[in-house]
Amino acid sequence: MLDGFEILTTSGIVLWRRHYTPISSNLIDSLVRDVFIEEKQKPGGGENGAPSYKKDRYTLRWTSAKDVGLVFVAVYQSLLHLSWIESLLTAVKGLFTKAYGQELKTPHTLKVNTAQWDPTFDALVNRLDTGSTRRQSDTIDSEGPTELTPPSSSAGDDADEPPPVPAPLFRKPAIPTKRDDVVGDSTSTDATPIPTPDTSRPATPGHAASHLLTAKGGPGKASRRSRKAQTFNASAPVSSGDESSAGRNLKGGAKTAAKGKRRWDVDGMAIEGDDDGVLDYSASATPGPENAERELDVADVNTSQMGSRTGKGQFVLKDLDDEVDAILASSSKPQQQSNATDDSTGSGLLASASSRLTSLFRNVVGGKTLTKADLQLPLQQMQTHLLSKNVAPEAATRLCQAVETDLLDQKTANYTSIESTIRDSMTKALTRMLTPTSSLDLLREVTSVTSGQGALARPYVISIVGVNGVGKSTNLSKIAFFLLQNHFRVLVVAGDTFRSGAVEQLRVHVRNLSALSQREGVGKVELFEKGYGKDAATVARDAVAFATNKGTQAPGGSGQMLYDVVLIDTAGRRHNDSRLMSSLTKFGQLANPDKVFMVGEALVGTDSVAQARNFAKEFVDTKGKLRNNGVGMDGFIISKCDTVGDMVGTLVSMVHATGIPVVFLGVGQHYGDLRGLNVGWAVDKLMK
Amino acid sequence: MTRLEDWLTWTLSPSLSAILVTLIFSLTLPILIHTYLYKRAVAKELPTFLLLGPSGAGKTSLLTLLSNGTPSPTHTSQAPQTATCQLPSTTRSSEDKYRSENDTSSRTQPSILLLDTPGHGKLRHHAIASLTSPTALKGLLFVVDSAVLSSAAGLTETAEYLYDVLLLLQKRHTQGKTSKGPLAIPVLLVANKQDVFTSLPAGLVKSKLEEELGKVRQTRSKGLLDSGIGMDDDGEADEESNWLGEYGAKGFKFAQMREHGVEVEVVGMSTSAEGEDEGRVHECWGWIGANV
Repeated sequence: MLDGFEILTTSGIVLWRRHYTPISSNLIDSLVRDVFIEEKQKPGGGENGAPSYKKDRYTLRWTSAKDVGLVFVAVYQSLLHLSWIESLLTAVKGLFTKAYGQELKTPHTLKVNTAQWDPTFDALVNRLDTGSTRRQSDTIDSEGPTELTPPSSSAGDDADEPPPVPAPLFRKPAIPTKRDDVVGDSTSTDATPIPTPDTSRPATPGHAASHLLTAKGGPGKASRRSRKAQTFNASAPVSSGDESSAGRNLKGGAKTAAKGKRRWDVDGMAIEGDDDGVLDYSASATPGPENAERELDVADVNTSQMGSRTGKGQFVLKDLDDEVDAILASSSKPQQQSNATDDSTGSGLLASASSRLTSLFRNVVGGKTLTKADLQLPLQQMQTHLLSKNVAPEAATRLCQAVETDLLDQKTANYTSIESTIRDSMTKALTRMLTPTSSLDLLREVTSVTSGQGALARPYVISIVGVNGVGKSTNLSKIAFFLLQNHFRVLVVAGDTFRSGAVEQLRVHVRNLSALSQREGVGKVELFEKGYGKDAATVARDAVAFATNKGTQAPGGSGQMLYDVVLIDTAGRRHNDSRLMSSLTKFGQLANPDKVFMVGEALVGTDSVAQARNFAKEFVDTKGKLRNNGVGMDGFIISKCDTVGDMVGTLVSMVHATGIPVVFLGVGQHYGDLRGLNVGWAVDKLMK
Repeated sequence: MTRLEDWLTWTLSPSLSAILVTLIFSLTLPILIHTYLYKRAVAKELPTFLLLGPSGAGKTSLLTLLSNGTPSPTHTSQAPQTATCQLPSTTRSSEDKYRSENDTSSRTQPSILLLDTPGHGKLRHHAIASLTSPTALKGLLFVVDSAVLSSAAGLTETAEYLYDVLLLLQKRHTQGKTSKGPLAIPVLLVANKQDVFTSLPAGLVKSKLEEELGKVRQTRSKGLLDSGIGMDDDGEADEESNWLGEYGAKGFKFAQMREHGVEVEVVGMSTSAEGEDEGRVHECWGWIGANV
């Protein structure tokens, strides 16, 4: 059952919403953030064109209308599978844009009066909701022909009366749908008064008894299984005439005449025998005959009753039928239409020549509406251009598709050609991809961690990973140099216990750095190494413990932190060697670094995508969740940028593969050759 | 037919009346065409106020509150949004500077254009572009979430964005090409969500942000160079130009921005407060009116 539906603009204002159960606004916020802005999910997934997004226990399906800048979101519980949501979304999109499209297109408007939308939406839901998904009954099949409309959909009108008692349905509450609050919100009306809540379990034994069977005679306490078998085999239509028993699967056939109330004792066993007292807790507000009458009403087909109760609803429903059919039909076969139009653009030499001339003219002057055919060739050229800049084909394709969806059916501005429009759009797409959500300020983070109050102060742990020969040790020493210049005490850990000469290499670096730092009187750097052949994870853990120095008690004071920053080097490993990659997981868990940086060289080609992905998915914490909000690593360091000149496409490939931002660029082989990423510079180089 | 011929002959004849008619016609026709084409011309540009701030601060909510009078429910913005609204009748605008308090003549309040930008890190280029583009930007409303400022992460994110914005304003002022310099843009720091229990009051928001901005400018000055610098052109990395406020000062105070023409004021309010004082929106309006 649908939990909520919202219509919002791309600028974030909610134009209309309907919540059947309370939904936190955090759900749709995270949908917007993860899918639309950060593009963590591959677009175009999902059946029938309505992609889905899962968060907590909810699934959100959405569709967007780009021309008016609207997003339509439907929220429901992940356990359910509602097949009619796509058609609902399509229909709502069509109808809403038709009704309010003009208002929305006028500039500088904020307020759109959507009061008339409520009954339209209700009618749509009733029309499309097939009812088969309303109760996920597992063993017992649904109740025959009757389809109950959920009380919430007619909330607007019968808010004053309590909704019809849904007691018959809850023979086995499979999904405890909490429809406690029915809130029909719209931006311009006040909230309707909340109807009486109907809980998933009937509160009174009196209610429960209405669908339960008579007590079977028999002494003592028979086993529960036999008792259950008895209850299923026999069935008795209850005197109040609810329809559930009519549709019940009658395994036995015996109908007993007695329709007594079932009573339960504390052990969960049914109490046989006549009742000693009426344990009916139901309030006198629901006396018998009215109850029966209402349930009889419920047994009828409800749509006509809803129609009679709200004449307007019926009226709207009838009008809607044609429109909705048209919208649903047109959405399901777009291809034939486009083919037809293609055929109809005449043939013949003169016609084609004149059309080419006009299109050329329009290309120069601007004001041309862009079609797929128009965009195809220039986009192909753009993709080739990107590939020539060493961008991986996957990333180039994704960028071109983003530009295409952005520009389709848009008009070019005055005096801009298609090529320049595409260039603009591509620049925007690249900027958006390369800009991090929050920029890394390494010095701030180190100071805030190392200067925590008293016992909270601990060293800041950074580890560097990557494939063989990309420049991990070199870039690590560049970072060490940078930190030393800022007066931090650095511990360099030789976590590469495999490659011959790795420890010596780091020893040379540390010697150079300490000479430099002593000359300038800043910082302190040391090497922590345990030789070759040891497990890198334990070396890292020991190093962090050594730097934290909790154990040693200096006389008259607690153990002071010996080092501010711990830089851990690791062995280079092929990303497709699963044994080596799995040892990274253990390393991540034991060393527990604050930052994990992967070094990728700018010279690598398409392999960068696979490298980035394989490394990112290894950093899983003990609960199985990827660290750093589900991306795995904290940043990329792209090394050897000075050797590639303009072809810095590896930046784009790696960011595209994982969504992890690039934090540093290595631009040389000296200690000072480390830069931060300037997005404008990178995009300029790529588009040059 | 002869009447037509006669008339045509008259128009081409060198008689005085024909010349006069031609003169009048040729002079008034362009004027008529001009008025017809420009009848629906856009009015002169409205004063613009830019809304920016970190994600979740309440900018879009504030936009709906200022333009509609009541806040609408909102979600994370993906795109900028503009809205025109008129100052409420109780607000005194800068045009009323020379009016007496007791002047009861009716006056039409000026209308303004509010520009709301997304606060997400990837979409801040909208705000930066609006700052640097030559629109009639009269003021900046930097909206912060007072409740989130008590946590270190929220404070850092807010301070970094505010630092970028203030540095941009400072550079705009110090690196102006003309001698007159661009018009100064005042900044109103809106400490939103004052109705939340854990929110900090406006004065504390100001002092915390000043402290954090001091730390940010310290680390930024010592940070790594950008990749765009040093490879193409040098002389850009002037230390003083990248230092916010007073160069070499110990701590940062908003008063230091005054020498660059940026007046920073702090106001506490709440977009979703019901009841008394309407969440203090009138203070916002007052500032807007003063800077229109």
